[in-house]
Amino acid sequence: MFGKKNKTPLPPKSKEEMPFAKMGLSLKEWRNNHVNKHKWRTIRWSVLIGMNLLFIISITLDLALLEGSLSGSRLLGFYLMDPYNTFQVLVISFVTGHWKYLTMNFVIGFFTIFLFYFFAGGRSYCSWICPYHFLAEWGEKLHDYLVKKKKIKEHSFNIYLRFVFWGGFLVLALFTKNIVFEDLNPIGILSRAMIYGPGLILLWILALLVFEIVYSKRFWCRYVCPVGATWSLVGKGTPLAIRFDLDKCAHCLDCQQVCLVPHELWFVKKGTATHDVHHAGSDCTRCGLCVDVCPGNALSYTIKGWEKIL
Amino acid sequence: MNQSGNNLNRRQFIKSGAIAVGALAAVGAGVGYLQKVTAEARINQDFLRPPGAVDESDFIYGCIKCGLCVQICPVQAIRLAGIKEGLAYGTAYIDVRAQACDFSCDSLQCVETCPTAALYFKQFKEAGEKAIAEYDKLHGQDKDYNPFPVQIEAMKRIVRMGVARINESTCLAFLGKGFKGTPRGKDFKGINRSPYTGEPKATPLKDKVYDEKICNLCVKECPIGETAIIMEDNTSKGGRIVPKVLGGCTGCGVCVMVCPTEGPSIIVEPIKS
Repeated sequence: MFGKKNKTPLPPKSKEEMPFAKMGLSLKEWRNNHVNKHKWRTIRWSVLIGMNLLFIISITLDLALLEGSLSGSRLLGFYLMDPYNTFQVLVISFVTGHWKYLTMNFVIGFFTIFLFYFFAGGRSYCSWICPYHFLAEWGEKLHDYLVKKKKIKEHSFNIYLRFVFWGGFLVLALFTKNIVFEDLNPIGILSRAMIYGPGLILLWILALLVFEIVYSKRFWCRYVCPVGATWSLVGKGTPLAIRFDLDKCAHCLDCQQVCLVPHELWFVKKGTATHDVHHAGSDCTRCGLCVDVCPGNALSYTIKGWEKIL
Repeated sequence: MNQSGNNLNRRQFIKSGAIAVGALAAVGAGVGYLQKVTAEARINQDFLRPPGAVDESDFIYGCIKCGLCVQICPVQAIRLAGIKEGLAYGTAYIDVRAQACDFSCDSLQCVETCPTAALYFKQFKEAGEKAIAEYDKLHGQDKDYNPFPVQIEAMKRIVRMGVARINESTCLAFLGKGFKGTPRGKDFKGINRSPYTGEPKATPLKDKVYDEKICNLCVKECPIGETAIIMEDNTSKGGRIVPKVLGGCTGCGVCVMVCPTEGPSIIVEPIKS
């Protein structure tokens, strides 16, 4: 229905072609040799915390660095608008006539951020900026631990549910004349709580986290969040991607273990890759966890098109 | 992927999709219910929308809760609503009794900063430009020509957050009383720029000391002046000298903030559209 994996896979590599065999090691030794320094995770968390901190610094020190919140902000005087908020406001205001009043800053803000993420990897917003992602990443660790200890069972759903919610929340906005999603949006709620002070609404975040920990891994991010869904659509044509080299891969599947969206790494399984080089698809958040964990450096950041030029 | 796997996937998707649609419908019903219950009661004397706010039915979706107006306000009059406001959670409001909008920004930047025009700036821009054009004609040749005070004056005059109303049964002036001291006590955090001192910035109200024979704090501190509120001398008619709200009132609420009575004897009533 949704897949495009109809191409015939390449024949599986023989044992002699495996990267560990070339180095004269066993698979186990080869994996144990790799020390995960969490390089990209450190960089990513620094960026995530840094950007959110910049909002807080701007309001406490009254600086015009990064004002507003993740719902809508101004970076050094340039407006940035949350795309899903933009869609909701547009949908409602086309019906009510408010669209005539919308400012040029609104338009500029939307297109600026749209263009930025078009080039910077779509859902990279999720793992590099979103404060809920940061919490959910820890929740995920806890969830994985509980699953491993057999305390809970894993429940997964169809990832295309996001687009049901994406359209559904827009329809809701239209019918209720209210930006319903922003009332539930953990990104906005957390961002505002950090910048303007906490409130009882944080209980909603707690509920989401608990649900993700005890029931379904990454439920909100994977199956609901329309902001992520928007970025995933934007990321369809983005040049910044995770590149996979088949000849460096030993199919140990460590990367799928750590991946937030394992279906995007479908090609790492033995006998599935259809090309020597693959790029992770638009759901990939460019978090770099797989890059960090890969023993053979088969996964790396790349800018599509550059490879050809170089 | 084989055919049966595809079918299973499809069935799963339809099943969970149906649950998702159901959940969305439930959220929609909840929102509809909350809208019915809260919309009427939301706007009141403690919950006014910032200057230039469009009609509440548009404001509720126009305000994307970004808080840019909150950050830019020099007296921090604008706040974001808490969860008890229901659907209006996170939207910008002003509680004038705690901190009024005293126009000491001199530019209505909260309105200008709003990207979604929930606070609509064009009306102020046009009023300001018109005032400058008129001022140009009269003073264009002057050596110390400065149109900006004229511009901000024209802009702030058309603000309508509400209209002040005096409670005559508790107002000190109506009771013939004066006021001596600091109106809201030494712990009060509110600030305002007193128009009679010429101070460039807003200063804490707790540092201001008054000694009035007949209490006239609301009139004295009003940033708009005599088109908004005056002391009316009714002594010739056997009455008292009392404050009177006029048509120029912008509903900024400085009078409410400085009112020394326990509960404010003057409130800002929202304008019902």
